[in-house]
Amino acid sequence: MTSRAVIADILLGIVPIALLIALWAALVSFGYAPAALLPPPGHVFKRLIQQLLSGSYEQEIAATLFRLFAGFSIAVVLGVCVGLAAAASPALNAVVRPLVRVLAPLPKVALYPALLLLVGFGHESKILLVAADALFPILLSTYYGASMVEQKLIWSAMAAGTPRRQILFKVVLPAAAPSILTGCRISLVISCIVVFLAEMITSTDGLGHVLVTAARTFQAVDMFVPLITISLLGLILNGLLEGLRAYLLRGFPEV
Amino acid sequence: MMISARAVLSRSAPLLACLGLLGVWQVAALAHNTDSFPTAWEAILTIPSIVGDKESLVNILASLRRMAIGFGIGVLLAVPLGLMMGRSRAVASFVNPLLMIIYPVPKAALMPIIMLWLGVGDVAKILVIFLGVSLPVIYHSFQGAKAVEEKMLWSAAAMGLSATQRMFRIALPAALPEIFTGCRTGLVLALITMITSEMIARQSGAGNILFNALDLGEYGTVYAMIIIVGALGIGLDIAFESLRRKLVKWSEPGFDIPVDFA
Repeated sequence: MTSRAVIADILLGIVPIALLIALWAALVSFGYAPAALLPPPGHVFKRLIQQLLSGSYEQEIAATLFRLFAGFSIAVVLGVCVGLAAAASPALNAVVRPLVRVLAPLPKVALYPALLLLVGFGHESKILLVAADALFPILLSTYYGASMVEQKLIWSAMAAGTPRRQILFKVVLPAAAPSILTGCRISLVISCIVVFLAEMITSTDGLGHVLVTAARTFQAVDMFVPLITISLLGLILNGLLEGLRAYLLRGFPEV
Repeated sequence: MMISARAVLSRSAPLLACLGLLGVWQVAALAHNTDSFPTAWEAILTIPSIVGDKESLVNILASLRRMAIGFGIGVLLAVPLGLMMGRSRAVASFVNPLLMIIYPVPKAALMPIIMLWLGVGDVAKILVIFLGVSLPVIYHSFQGAKAVEEKMLWSAAAMGLSATQRMFRIALPAALPEIFTGCRTGLVLALITMITSEMIARQSGAGNILFNALDLGEYGTVYAMIIIVGALGIGLDIAFESLRRKLVKWSEPGFDIPVDFA
């Protein structure tokens, strides 16, 4: 793609976002929606910047990010290990496959009350919920990626004298890396969503709690701010993961 | 005709997995032995009293009805949009950035705001479910339509099919397997969004029963509801998968479980 086409694409992409904000502004300024229900976009963005600069809001973001990363990291470690193990061993595969078949479509958020009862209302229950939701995309993409590694690659490595146990780390893991990273990207977005929801349902801090507090006092402006923040966080984290992907997969074809 | 033991085993594997999970739960609860963690058997025994109670049953059925409507509207609007995005680069670059912004926003978290505008009725709940369903269906339809072989479209154009006809007779059938994958994810997401939005709004529905029981300390009901919701998720997925197998028999997906379940 030429750089000119890229610029055209970006401009085209900005149009619906600008239209949406314009529609929002028009609805308010022409009086179709009272400002108490739909605050003008200018107010919301001003409040967002004001909040981002305040220390207490930064602490809420930090609490959310901590839970997000803790849960996501557990999911990455567990997902990659179990996915690789299931791809490598037929016996394990026979156990893991039906379990995943049953657990993947199970609405994990329904487990949240049980987690609250078992590990309490603190960080742990939210981290575990994030981990449970983020686990399956990573596990499945690792498993699919690792089972599709070309047999020739493994044979060549063995012919070149690589010990059997090292093949997993020297051949299978790198070859499955693009698929694993795709799974991580899906899980990262899911983690953003789940951590926010868990904080909305029961929490004393975090972005989700900010939204619930605002909703209880009918502060419409403060309800929009955490939603925009989590959207921005999602975009930033996604961008960082893209960067990591480009770095890890340098030299891979068609990244 | 003899069915091999292996085939029987592989077909009943998900059932065995369920039994295994319930077994692990039973053992863990017996070892733990507190009020807040009843055994699996006690939880199962509580299910009839929930399903038998008229009010809870009506609540759960009303939840499912909202879910079905939200899912239906979501699929009807998302599939055409996804197909258009897949066949036209301009449409794709027009819509994609907007979707990227919406993606990390938890749809159920919009519940308090939407309730401000539309009240606590069915419309607000259906709207939230619709939003939750749309994104994966759009994404998969987009991927499916993008991967249609150009040659088929060229041949169709050479045979004199108009752009609309090409969309319906070439792009749609070719993208169908991928669309079904999107719908399968969307169906599970509809259930999740339904439960979550009811947990947040706390007005009625299955999610509300679950959290009311938690507040009242009726632990048996909490765990029984978890089993009911879990069984709904697994059951809906298995039912949809068998429907998909019948409708798009000609295409076996490379992956038997969509990666973007959550």
